[in-house]
Amino acid sequence: MLKKLFFATALTISLIAPAQTKTAVSSKEAKIVDEINLSDADIEVFKEQTKQKVDEFQQYIITLGSKDQPAEKRDMAEKEAIKLFYKGAQMEISILAADGSTQKVMRPMEKYLARLKSLPYTKVVIKFYDIAYISEFTKGPDGKYYSTATIIQEFTGFNDDNIVYTDVTKKDIEIIIDLVEDKFFNEKRWKIFLGDIKASETKST
Amino acid sequence: MLNIHKYKYSAILAAVLTLAAIIPPDCFAQEIIASPNSNEKIFLARTKQFNEFLDRFNYKTTFTGEPVDSAFMAKIPRINMVSSLFDLKDKRTDPSSKEYVKNYSDLKNRFIGEVVSRNIQVAKYSGNIIAEARSRVIYKGTPHNISIFLAQEVIRETRNKWVILDVKGDVFNFLQTDTAFIRFIPPSSNETDFMNLKRALEDVNYLQYYASKEYQPDNLNLFFFLINTGAMKFEYVNEVIYHITDIPGWSMKVKEYNRNELNSGWLISDLSENSLDRYSYIRSLK
Repeated sequence: MLKKLFFATALTISLIAPAQTKTAVSSKEAKIVDEINLSDADIEVFKEQTKQKVDEFQQYIITLGSKDQPAEKRDMAEKEAIKLFYKGAQMEISILAADGSTQKVMRPMEKYLARLKSLPYTKVVIKFYDIAYISEFTKGPDGKYYSTATIIQEFTGFNDDNIVYTDVTKKDIEIIIDLVEDKFFNEKRWKIFLGDIKASETKST
Repeated sequence: MLNIHKYKYSAILAAVLTLAAIIPPDCFAQEIIASPNSNEKIFLARTKQFNEFLDRFNYKTTFTGEPVDSAFMAKIPRINMVSSLFDLKDKRTDPSSKEYVKNYSDLKNRFIGEVVSRNIQVAKYSGNIIAEARSRVIYKGTPHNISIFLAQEVIRETRNKWVILDVKGDVFNFLQTDTAFIRFIPPSSNETDFMNLKRALEDVNYLQYYASKEYQPDNLNLFFFLINTGAMKFEYVNEVIYHITDIPGWSMKVKEYNRNELNSGWLISDLSENSLDRYSYIRSLK
Protein backbone atom coordinates (compact mmCIF):
# COMPACT_ATOMS: atom_id res chain seq x y z
CA MET A 1 0.00 0.00 0.00
CA LEU A 2 2.80 2.37 1.03
CA LYS A 3 4.70 1.42 -2.13
CA LYS A 4 1.62 2.29 -4.26
CA LEU A 5 1.31 5.64 -2.51
CA PHE A 6 5.01 6.36 -3.13
CA PHE A 7 4.69 5.65 -6.88
CA ALA A 8 1.50 7.71 -7.14
CA THR A 9 3.24 10.68 -5.48
CA ALA A 10 6.33 10.26 -7.65
CA LEU A 11 4.19 10.16 -10.80
CA THR A 12 2.29 13.30 -9.77
CA ILE A 13 5.57 15.19 -9.14
CA SER A 14 6.99 14.08 -12.47
CA LEU A 15 3.87 15.33 -14.24
CA ILE A 16 3.98 18.68 -12.45
CA ALA A 17 7.67 19.29 -13.18
CA PRO A 18 8.44 17.59 -16.49
CA ALA A 19 11.49 19.76 -17.29
CA GLN A 20 13.13 19.07 -13.96
CA THR A 21 12.65 15.33 -14.36
CA LYS A 22 14.10 15.49 -17.85
CA THR A 23 17.24 17.30 -16.80
CA ALA A 24 17.64 15.22 -13.67
CA VAL A 25 18.53 12.24 -15.86
CA SER A 26 21.91 13.76 -16.67
CA SER A 27 22.57 14.94 -13.15
CA LYS A 28 21.72 11.60 -11.50
CA GLU A 29 24.94 10.02 -12.63
CA ALA A 30 27.17 12.75 -11.34
CA LYS A 31 28.29 12.98 -7.77
CA ILE A 32 30.32 16.18 -7.80
CA VAL A 33 29.01 19.54 -9.08
CA ASP A 34 32.27 20.05 -11.03
CA GLU A 35 31.60 17.08 -13.30
CA ILE A 36 28.14 18.10 -14.43
CA ASN A 37 27.45 19.97 -17.62
CA LEU A 38 24.03 20.80 -19.00
CA SER A 39 23.47 19.85 -22.60
CA ASP A 40 22.29 22.41 -25.16
CA ALA A 41 18.87 20.72 -25.09
CA ASP A 42 18.76 21.05 -21.29
CA ILE A 43 19.69 24.72 -21.56
CA GLU A 44 16.81 25.28 -24.01
CA VAL A 45 14.40 23.63 -21.55
CA PHE A 46 15.73 25.87 -18.78
CA LYS A 47 15.35 28.95 -20.97
CA GLU A 48 11.67 28.08 -21.35
CA GLN A 49 11.39 27.45 -17.61
CA THR A 50 13.06 30.79 -16.94
CA LYS A 51 10.33 32.52 -18.93
CA GLN A 52 7.74 30.73 -16.80
CA LYS A 53 9.50 31.69 -13.56
CA VAL A 54 9.70 35.33 -14.65
CA ASP A 55 5.98 35.23 -15.61
CA GLU A 56 5.21 33.72 -12.22
CA PHE A 57 7.18 36.47 -10.48
CA GLN A 58 5.33 39.14 -12.49
CA GLN A 59 1.98 37.60 -11.54
CA TYR A 60 2.92 37.68 -7.83
CA ILE A 61 3.99 41.32 -8.13
CA ILE A 62 0.63 42.22 -9.71
CA THR A 63 -1.29 40.38 -6.97
CA LEU A 64 0.89 41.89 -4.23
CA GLY A 65 0.30 45.41 -5.47
CA SER A 66 -3.44 45.03 -6.04
CA LYS A 67 -5.21 46.64 -3.12
CA ASP A 68 -8.54 45.13 -4.22
CA GLN A 69 -7.28 41.56 -3.73
CA PRO A 70 -8.03 39.78 -0.41
CA ALA A 71 -5.24 40.10 2.19
CA GLU A 72 -4.79 36.29 2.32
CA LYS A 73 -4.19 36.13 -1.42
CA ARG A 74 -1.65 38.94 -1.27
CA ASP A 75 0.13 37.32 1.71
CA MET A 76 0.27 34.05 -0.21
CA ALA A 77 1.67 35.84 -3.29
CA GLU A 78 4.40 37.35 -1.11
CA LYS A 79 5.34 33.95 0.33
CA GLU A 80 5.34 32.25 -3.06
CA ALA A 81 7.35 35.06 -4.66
CA ILE A 82 10.10 34.68 -2.02
CA LYS A 83 10.36 30.97 -2.88
CA LEU A 84 11.42 31.87 -6.43
CA PHE A 85 14.56 33.60 -5.19
CA TYR A 86 18.01 32.51 -4.24
CA LYS A 87 18.72 33.08 -0.55
CA GLY A 88 20.09 36.57 0.02
CA ALA A 89 18.77 38.04 -3.26
CA GLN A 90 18.56 41.82 -3.22
CA MET A 91 16.69 44.52 -5.09
CA GLU A 92 18.64 47.60 -6.17
CA ILE A 93 16.51 50.64 -6.97
CA SER A 94 17.72 53.86 -8.57
CA ILE A 95 16.17 56.94 -7.02
CA LEU A 96 16.28 60.24 -8.89
CA ALA A 97 17.15 63.05 -6.47
CA ALA A 98 15.79 66.59 -6.84
CA ASP A 99 19.21 67.84 -8.06
CA GLY A 100 19.12 65.32 -10.94
CA SER A 101 21.64 62.93 -9.39
CA THR A 102 20.84 59.25 -8.97
CA GLN A 103 21.00 57.43 -5.67
CA LYS A 104 20.83 53.69 -5.36
CA VAL A 105 19.13 51.82 -2.58
CA MET A 106 19.58 48.12 -1.98
CA ARG A 107 16.98 46.10 -0.11
CA PRO A 108 16.68 42.42 0.71
CA MET A 109 14.02 40.90 -1.58
CA GLU A 110 11.79 40.09 1.42
CA LYS A 111 11.74 43.77 2.43
CA TYR A 112 11.11 44.95 -1.12
CA LEU A 113 8.09 42.65 -1.49
CA ALA A 114 6.74 43.59 1.94
CA ARG A 115 7.00 47.30 1.05
CA LEU A 116 5.25 46.70 -2.27
CA LYS A 117 2.32 45.23 -0.35
CA SER A 118 1.90 48.30 1.82
CA LEU A 119 2.38 51.20 -0.57
CA PRO A 120 0.51 54.38 0.47
CA TYR A 121 -1.94 54.40 -2.44
CA THR A 122 -5.62 53.52 -2.50
CA LYS A 123 -5.16 51.66 -5.79
CA VAL A 124 -2.09 50.31 -7.56
CA VAL A 125 -1.97 49.10 -11.17
CA ILE A 126 1.11 47.19 -12.29
CA LYS A 127 1.51 46.08 -15.90
CA PHE A 128 4.26 44.01 -17.46
CA TYR A 129 5.07 43.74 -21.14
CA ASP A 130 4.60 40.32 -22.62
CA ILE A 131 8.24 40.18 -23.65
CA ALA A 132 11.17 39.06 -21.55
CA TYR A 133 14.67 39.07 -22.97
CA ILE A 134 16.75 36.21 -21.58
CA SER A 135 20.46 36.05 -22.33
CA GLU A 136 22.41 32.84 -22.96
CA PHE A 137 23.34 30.83 -19.88
CA THR A 138 27.05 30.89 -18.94
CA LYS A 139 28.66 28.50 -16.52
CA GLY A 140 30.34 30.08 -13.50
CA PRO A 141 33.42 28.83 -11.61
CA ASP A 142 31.07 27.29 -9.00
CA GLY A 143 29.40 25.02 -11.59
CA LYS A 144 26.13 26.97 -11.59
CA TYR A 145 24.70 28.49 -14.75
CA TYR A 146 24.00 32.21 -14.93
CA SER A 147 21.84 34.37 -17.16
CA THR A 148 19.90 37.65 -17.01
CA ALA A 149 16.25 38.28 -17.84
CA THR A 150 15.12 41.81 -18.69
CA ILE A 151 11.50 42.89 -18.25
CA ILE A 152 9.62 46.19 -18.25
CA GLN A 153 7.11 47.19 -15.60
CA GLU A 154 4.60 50.02 -15.73
CA PHE A 155 3.53 51.20 -12.29
CA THR A 156 0.64 53.56 -11.49
CA GLY A 157 -0.34 54.58 -7.98
CA PHE A 158 -3.78 56.17 -7.41
CA ASN A 159 -5.31 58.04 -4.49
CA ASP A 160 -9.02 57.69 -5.09
CA ASP A 161 -9.27 58.19 -8.86
CA ASN A 162 -6.25 60.45 -9.21
CA ILE A 163 -2.91 59.20 -10.49
CA VAL A 164 -0.38 60.33 -7.90
CA TYR A 165 2.62 58.37 -9.10
CA THR A 166 3.57 56.62 -12.32
CA ASP A 167 6.78 55.16 -13.71
CA VAL A 168 8.15 52.71 -16.26
CA THR A 169 10.95 50.57 -14.86
CA LYS A 170 13.34 48.19 -16.53
CA LYS A 171 14.17 45.24 -14.35
CA ASP A 172 17.28 43.12 -14.96
CA ILE A 173 16.88 39.86 -13.07
CA GLU A 174 19.80 37.54 -12.40
CA ILE A 175 18.89 33.92 -13.19
CA ILE A 176 20.75 31.03 -11.58
CA ILE A 177 20.48 27.32 -12.37
CA ASP A 178 21.77 25.42 -9.38
CA LEU A 179 22.05 21.77 -8.50
CA VAL A 180 19.98 21.20 -5.36
CA GLU A 181 19.40 18.18 -3.18
CA ASP A 182 16.00 16.59 -3.66
CA LYS A 183 15.50 14.85 -0.34
CA PHE A 184 12.42 12.96 -1.53
CA PHE A 185 14.23 11.23 -4.39
CA ASN A 186 17.61 11.39 -2.64
CA GLU A 187 19.30 12.89 -5.67
CA LYS A 188 20.46 16.20 -7.02
CA ARG A 189 18.35 18.16 -9.49
CA TRP A 190 18.95 21.34 -11.44
CA LYS A 191 16.64 24.10 -10.33
CA ILE A 192 16.07 27.67 -11.51
CA PHE A 193 16.25 30.54 -9.05
CA LEU A 194 15.84 34.26 -9.48
CA GLY A 195 18.69 36.29 -8.01
CA ASP A 196 19.48 39.99 -7.57
CA ILE A 197 17.33 42.49 -9.44
CA LYS A 198 18.47 45.86 -10.76
CA ALA A 199 15.58 48.23 -11.30
CA SER A 200 16.09 51.40 -13.30
CA GLU A 201 13.52 53.95 -14.36
CA THR A 202 13.15 54.52 -18.10
CA LYS A 203 13.29 58.20 -18.89
CA SER A 204 10.69 59.41 -21.35
CA THR A 205 11.72 61.77 -24.09
CA MET B 1 27.58 64.49 -45.74
CA LEU B 2 25.04 62.55 -47.69
CA ASN B 3 26.54 59.35 -46.36
CA ILE B 4 26.01 60.41 -42.77
CA HIS B 5 22.37 61.10 -43.42
CA LYS B 6 22.10 57.82 -45.24
CA TYR B 7 23.52 55.86 -42.26
CA LYS B 8 21.37 57.65 -39.74
CA TYR B 9 18.23 57.28 -41.79
CA SER B 10 18.91 53.67 -42.64
CA ALA B 11 19.57 52.82 -38.99
CA ILE B 12 16.24 54.23 -37.85
CA LEU B 13 14.53 52.72 -40.85
CA ALA B 14 16.14 49.38 -40.06
CA ALA B 15 14.57 49.29 -36.62
CA VAL B 16 11.17 50.52 -37.74
CA LEU B 17 10.97 48.28 -40.79
CA THR B 18 12.07 45.24 -38.85
CA LEU B 19 9.46 45.76 -36.21
CA ALA B 20 6.74 46.39 -38.74
CA ALA B 21 7.72 43.56 -41.05
CA ILE B 22 8.78 40.82 -38.68
CA ILE B 23 6.50 41.13 -35.69
CA PRO B 24 2.92 40.09 -36.25
CA PRO B 25 0.43 42.34 -34.46
CA ASP B 26 -0.83 39.54 -32.21
CA CYS B 27 2.69 39.02 -30.89
CA PHE B 28 1.99 41.79 -28.41
CA ALA B 29 -1.10 40.13 -26.98
CA GLN B 30 -0.82 40.20 -23.21
CA GLU B 31 -1.00 37.09 -21.18
CA ILE B 32 -0.56 38.92 -17.93
CA ILE B 33 -2.46 42.17 -18.37
CA ALA B 34 -3.51 43.53 -21.72
CA SER B 35 -1.46 46.63 -22.42
CA PRO B 36 -2.14 48.64 -25.56
CA ASN B 37 1.12 50.49 -24.94
CA SER B 38 3.30 50.87 -28.02
CA ASN B 39 6.27 51.07 -25.64
CA GLU B 40 6.48 47.30 -26.06
CA LYS B 41 7.70 47.81 -29.60
CA ILE B 42 10.35 50.15 -28.30
CA PHE B 43 11.32 47.52 -25.74
CA LEU B 44 11.85 45.02 -28.56
CA ALA B 45 14.01 47.39 -30.59
CA ARG B 46 15.97 48.50 -27.51
CA THR B 47 19.32 46.78 -27.01
CA LYS B 48 18.23 45.43 -23.66
CA GLN B 49 21.44 43.81 -22.44
CA PHE B 50 25.10 44.14 -23.35
CA ASN B 51 24.88 40.50 -24.35
CA GLU B 52 22.20 41.43 -26.90
CA PHE B 53 24.38 44.29 -28.14
CA LEU B 54 27.12 41.77 -28.99
CA ASP B 55 24.64 39.45 -30.72
CA ARG B 56 23.34 42.30 -32.86
CA PHE B 57 26.82 43.68 -33.55
CA ASN B 58 27.97 40.22 -34.62
CA TYR B 59 24.83 39.95 -36.77
CA LYS B 60 23.79 36.79 -34.95
CA THR B 61 20.30 37.78 -33.82
CA THR B 62 17.49 39.93 -35.16
CA PHE B 63 15.58 42.61 -33.25
CA THR B 64 13.29 39.88 -31.94
CA GLY B 65 16.16 37.69 -30.79
CA GLU B 66 15.77 35.15 -33.61
CA PRO B 67 18.89 33.95 -35.48
CA VAL B 68 19.71 36.14 -38.50
CA ASP B 69 18.61 34.32 -41.66
CA SER B 70 18.73 35.14 -45.37
CA ALA B 71 15.30 36.84 -45.29
CA PHE B 72 16.46 39.15 -42.51
CA MET B 73 19.76 39.80 -44.30
CA ALA B 74 17.83 40.89 -47.39
CA LYS B 75 15.66 43.27 -45.33
CA ILE B 76 18.27 44.62 -42.94
CA PRO B 77 21.86 44.40 -44.22
CA ARG B 78 24.60 44.33 -41.58
CA ILE B 79 25.59 47.91 -42.38
CA ASN B 80 22.16 49.05 -41.13
CA MET B 81 22.32 46.81 -38.08
CA VAL B 82 25.75 48.14 -37.01
CA SER B 83 24.66 51.73 -37.73
CA SER B 84 21.59 51.28 -35.52
CA LEU B 85 23.90 50.33 -32.62
CA PHE B 86 25.36 53.84 -32.47
CA ASP B 87 23.80 56.58 -30.34
CA LEU B 88 21.95 58.40 -33.11
CA LYS B 89 21.60 61.48 -30.91
CA ASP B 90 25.37 61.97 -30.92
CA LYS B 91 25.72 65.56 -32.16
CA ARG B 92 29.23 64.86 -33.49
CA THR B 93 27.58 62.96 -36.34
CA ASP B 94 24.78 65.44 -36.98
CA PRO B 95 25.86 67.89 -39.73
CA SER B 96 23.12 70.32 -38.70
CA SER B 97 24.57 70.61 -35.19
CA LYS B 98 27.20 73.09 -34.04
CA GLU B 99 28.95 70.20 -32.32
CA TYR B 100 29.31 68.29 -35.59
CA VAL B 101 32.82 66.81 -36.00
CA LYS B 102 33.56 65.75 -39.55
CA ASN B 103 36.62 63.70 -38.56
CA TYR B 104 34.57 61.70 -36.06
CA SER B 105 31.81 61.19 -38.59
CA ASP B 106 34.32 59.93 -41.15
CA LEU B 107 35.92 57.67 -38.53
CA LYS B 108 32.52 56.17 -37.73
CA ASN B 109 31.75 55.51 -41.40
CA ARG B 110 35.20 53.96 -41.92
CA PHE B 111 34.67 51.72 -38.88
CA ILE B 112 31.23 50.54 -40.03
CA GLY B 113 32.60 49.87 -43.51
CA GLU B 114 35.49 47.84 -42.09
CA VAL B 115 33.24 45.81 -39.77
CA VAL B 116 30.96 44.89 -42.66
CA SER B 117 33.55 44.28 -45.38
CA ARG B 118 35.85 42.19 -43.14
CA ASN B 119 32.93 40.53 -41.32
CA ILE B 120 34.43 41.54 -37.95
CA GLN B 121 33.06 39.76 -34.89
CA VAL B 122 33.57 40.54 -31.21
CA ALA B 123 34.20 37.39 -29.16
CA LYS B 124 31.58 37.23 -26.41
CA TYR B 125 34.01 36.16 -23.71
CA SER B 126 36.96 38.20 -24.94
CA GLY B 127 39.36 39.44 -22.29
CA ASN B 128 39.54 42.63 -24.33
CA ILE B 129 36.02 43.65 -23.37
CA ILE B 130 36.68 45.94 -20.42
CA ALA B 131 33.76 46.88 -18.18
CA GLU B 132 34.23 50.16 -16.36
CA ALA B 133 32.05 50.17 -13.25
CA ARG B 134 31.79 53.82 -12.21
CA SER B 135 31.25 53.47 -8.52
CA ARG B 136 30.75 55.39 -5.33
CA VAL B 137 32.98 54.79 -2.31
CA ILE B 138 33.23 56.46 1.06
CA TYR B 139 36.74 57.44 2.17
CA LYS B 140 37.32 59.32 5.43
CA GLY B 141 33.58 59.99 5.63
CA THR B 142 33.42 61.65 2.21
CA PRO B 143 31.87 60.12 -0.94
CA HIS B 144 34.21 59.71 -3.92
CA ASN B 145 33.69 58.44 -7.46
CA ILE B 146 36.05 55.76 -8.69
CA SER B 147 36.20 53.51 -11.75
CA ILE B 148 36.68 49.78 -11.31
CA PHE B 149 37.81 48.08 -14.52
CA LEU B 150 36.79 44.45 -15.00
CA ALA B 151 37.28 41.83 -17.70
CA GLN B 152 36.06 38.29 -18.29
CA GLU B 153 38.29 35.36 -17.49
CA VAL B 154 37.65 31.88 -18.86
CA ILE B 155 38.37 29.00 -16.50
CA ARG B 156 38.80 25.40 -17.63
CA GLU B 157 37.46 26.28 -21.10
CA THR B 158 33.78 26.32 -20.19
CA ARG B 159 33.50 28.54 -17.15
CA ASN B 160 33.56 32.23 -16.97
CA LYS B 161 33.90 35.02 -14.43
CA TRP B 162 34.62 38.74 -14.22
CA VAL B 163 37.88 39.82 -12.62
CA ILE B 164 39.12 43.24 -11.48
CA LEU B 165 41.93 44.60 -13.66
CA ASP B 166 42.50 48.02 -12.19
CA VAL B 167 40.95 50.97 -10.38
CA LYS B 168 41.16 54.68 -11.06
CA GLY B 169 39.97 57.79 -9.30
CA ASP B 170 41.11 61.09 -7.82
CA VAL B 171 41.01 59.55 -4.36
CA PHE B 172 44.04 57.42 -5.32
CA ASN B 173 46.04 60.42 -6.46
CA PHE B 174 46.99 61.36 -2.92
CA LEU B 175 50.57 62.43 -3.72
CA GLN B 176 51.36 65.90 -4.95
CA THR B 177 53.76 66.98 -7.68
CA ASP B 178 56.68 69.33 -7.39
CA THR B 179 59.07 70.54 -10.04
CA ALA B 180 61.95 71.34 -7.67
CA PHE B 181 64.63 68.64 -7.49
CA ILE B 182 65.05 68.90 -3.76
CA ARG B 183 63.58 65.57 -2.78
CA PHE B 184 66.00 62.67 -2.79
CA ILE B 185 67.94 60.36 -0.55
CA PRO B 186 71.57 61.61 -0.72
CA PRO B 187 74.28 59.41 -2.29
CA SER B 188 76.17 58.90 0.97
CA SER B 189 73.11 57.88 2.99
CA ASN B 190 74.11 54.23 2.99
CA GLU B 191 77.13 55.03 5.20
CA THR B 192 74.88 56.47 7.87
CA ASP B 193 72.52 53.49 7.70
CA PHE B 194 70.01 55.58 5.75
CA MET B 195 69.29 57.92 8.63
CA ASN B 196 67.77 60.19 5.97
CA LEU B 197 64.92 57.75 5.43
CA LYS B 198 63.08 59.18 8.42
CA ARG B 199 63.21 62.65 6.91
CA ALA B 200 62.17 61.33 3.51
CA LEU B 201 59.22 59.37 4.83
CA GLU B 202 57.99 62.32 6.82
CA ASP B 203 57.64 64.22 3.54
CA VAL B 204 54.26 62.48 3.21
CA ASN B 205 52.85 64.37 0.23
CA TYR B 206 55.79 63.79 -2.10
CA LEU B 207 56.83 60.21 -1.39
CA GLN B 208 57.02 59.27 -5.06
CA TYR B 209 60.14 61.42 -5.48
CA TYR B 210 62.01 59.03 -3.21
CA ALA B 211 61.10 56.05 -5.39
CA SER B 212 62.84 54.69 -8.48
CA LYS B 213 62.20 56.22 -11.90
CA GLU B 214 60.48 52.93 -12.77
CA TYR B 215 58.00 53.33 -9.93
CA GLN B 216 54.37 52.93 -11.07
CA PRO B 217 51.70 53.41 -8.42
CA ASP B 218 49.55 50.29 -8.10
CA ASN B 219 46.04 51.55 -7.47
CA LEU B 220 44.55 48.07 -7.23
CA ASN B 221 46.85 47.11 -4.33
CA LEU B 222 46.03 50.37 -2.64
CA PHE B 223 42.29 49.86 -3.21
CA PHE B 224 42.39 46.34 -1.75
CA PHE B 225 44.37 47.63 1.26
CA LEU B 226 41.94 50.49 1.91
CA ILE B 227 38.95 48.17 1.63
CA ASN B 228 40.65 45.51 3.75
CA THR B 229 41.48 47.92 6.56
CA GLY B 230 38.02 49.47 6.47
CA ALA B 231 39.43 52.89 5.54
CA MET B 232 37.37 52.81 2.33
CA LYS B 233 33.80 51.52 2.04
CA PHE B 234 32.28 50.48 -1.26
CA GLU B 235 28.76 51.85 -1.75
CA TYR B 236 27.41 50.94 -5.21
CA VAL B 237 27.99 51.00 -8.96
CA ASN B 238 26.55 54.13 -10.53
CA GLU B 239 27.01 53.30 -14.18
CA VAL B 240 28.74 50.73 -16.39
CA ILE B 241 30.58 51.59 -19.60
CA TYR B 242 32.09 48.87 -21.77
CA HIS B 243 35.32 49.52 -23.64
CA ILE B 244 35.62 47.02 -26.47
CA THR B 245 39.27 46.78 -27.50
CA ASP B 246 38.84 43.39 -29.14
CA ILE B 247 38.88 44.70 -32.74
CA PRO B 248 42.48 45.35 -33.84
CA GLY B 249 43.05 49.05 -34.42
CA TRP B 250 39.82 50.16 -32.73
CA SER B 251 38.22 50.77 -29.39
CA MET B 252 34.55 51.54 -28.86
CA LYS B 253 32.70 52.62 -25.77
CA VAL B 254 29.25 51.17 -25.18
CA LYS B 255 26.88 52.60 -22.58
CA GLU B 256 23.22 52.34 -21.72
CA TYR B 257 20.85 55.03 -22.97
CA ASN B 258 17.82 54.71 -20.78
CA ARG B 259 15.29 56.51 -22.96
CA ASN B 260 11.91 55.64 -24.36
CA GLU B 261 12.67 55.42 -28.08
CA LEU B 262 13.77 52.89 -30.68
CA ASN B 263 17.43 53.93 -30.56
CA SER B 264 17.93 53.10 -26.87
CA GLY B 265 19.58 50.65 -24.49
CA TRP B 266 23.22 49.62 -24.94
CA LEU B 267 24.67 51.73 -27.76
CA ILE B 268 28.06 52.86 -29.01
CA SER B 269 28.77 56.22 -27.40
CA ASP B 270 32.30 56.73 -28.67
CA LEU B 271 34.76 55.30 -31.12
CA SER B 272 38.51 55.79 -31.46
CA GLU B 273 41.55 54.25 -33.06
CA ASN B 274 43.51 52.15 -30.59
CA SER B 275 46.63 50.01 -30.64
CA LEU B 276 47.22 49.72 -26.89
CA ASP B 277 46.98 46.53 -24.84
CA ARG B 278 44.19 46.53 -22.23
CA TYR B 279 46.32 47.70 -19.25
CA SER B 280 47.93 50.51 -21.25
CA TYR B 281 44.50 51.40 -22.59
CA ILE B 282 43.07 51.70 -19.06
CA ARG B 283 46.06 53.84 -18.00
CA SER B 284 45.52 56.09 -21.02
CA LEU B 285 41.91 56.85 -20.05
CA LYS B 286 41.36 60.32 -18.62
